[in-house]
Amino acid sequence: MDNPLACARVRVLLEPFVDGDLDANVAEQVRRHLVTCAECRRQHDQAISLPFRLKALSSPAPRASFAQDVMRAVAPARSMDRQVWTLLAPEALLAGFILWYLSGLEGLSSIASGTFNDLLGLAGGSLPSVPPVDVVLVIALIALTCIAGYHLSLLIRVAPTSLQSRRHA
Amino acid sequence: MHAETLVDPRTVDARRVSTAGDMQGFAAAQLVQQATGGDLEAFEELIRRLQRRVYGFAYQHLRDSDEAHDLAQEIFVKLYRNLGRYDAERPFEPWFWKLAANTSINYRRKRVPLPAEATDESAGEDEANFLKHDPTLVEALAQLDPAYRLPVLLHYYADMSLEQVSHSLNVSVAAVKSRLHRARAQLRNSLAEAEEVGDL
Repeated sequence: MDNPLACARVRVLLEPFVDGDLDANVAEQVRRHLVTCAECRRQHDQAISLPFRLKALSSPAPRASFAQDVMRAVAPARSMDRQVWTLLAPEALLAGFILWYLSGLEGLSSIASGTFNDLLGLAGGSLPSVPPVDVVLVIALIALTCIAGYHLSLLIRVAPTSLQSRRHA
Repeated sequence: MHAETLVDPRTVDARRVSTAGDMQGFAAAQLVQQATGGDLEAFEELIRRLQRRVYGFAYQHLRDSDEAHDLAQEIFVKLYRNLGRYDAERPFEPWFWKLAANTSINYRRKRVPLPAEATDESAGEDEANFLKHDPTLVEALAQLDPAYRLPVLLHYYADMSLEQVSHSLNVSVAAVKSRLHRARAQLRNSLAEAEEVGDL
């Protein structure tokens, strides 16, 4: 016959006993001990009621303004999302202008030959003259690069939300 | 028959769905889908549905109304930022409570604990009423180690299954069971001690 369990041992086993997690032999020993020990029976009753008391635990209500507070807190993220889309307009405008100015491969080759002539001019010692329309192009390119860089930084910041949304869409 | 088999989730506005029984989880998932698509009213509705439980969870974890407000707010802001990560094929609540549990763990790490006396003095009327309900258990829960308190709150307060808690805390189901057993044993001992003191 198994040795009877001591009170200290039984009290450690009460929670697994209540949940039915003990093997049959140990559970039987706990049951036999509980028949004879009033103090452990009281602890056993406590162990049974505790999960129900925990489930019934109440908490204070949040402030009435809680939902509005959260919506205010997410507002910067919302405006950032809007900004990401708004930036597409100036980018498209600048890209359109640059493409129009370059007008395809012909435009590109004329720019390349112009740059080559300028370099030749530099090698010859005299400064090349920069046509005013090229200055406009350079300004447009710089502006586009700056806006695109800022746009990219915004995209990186909002990436966890927007990129994953597109994945699920 | 379950409502899911009768309706196409994509065609239903979750704000009009009944809140009864198993429709709740479905409605929450539907609200999340609408919020992910940029519907802010749906997100606000989602907050209203979850705020009581999330605030309660935060309060039981921190025992301070201002800090609970901050933590609950942080949980919802994180939810908003991570809406796109939610997989609509899976149930919403376990995913959400995992996010809530992780946010709570990080929040506790960076917080500066307040003196207990200051907390009690600053308690509002609603908070004072709450403290009258099973005060010995509330006190015992507050004394519990956070590593034990979190699974208790997730399982008994947020009503998550053992598997969901294990997934939320990145531990095995056996480890969750063991923590719950130890937590309940500690709570039981605290309650017994409190009763003895009360009897004196």
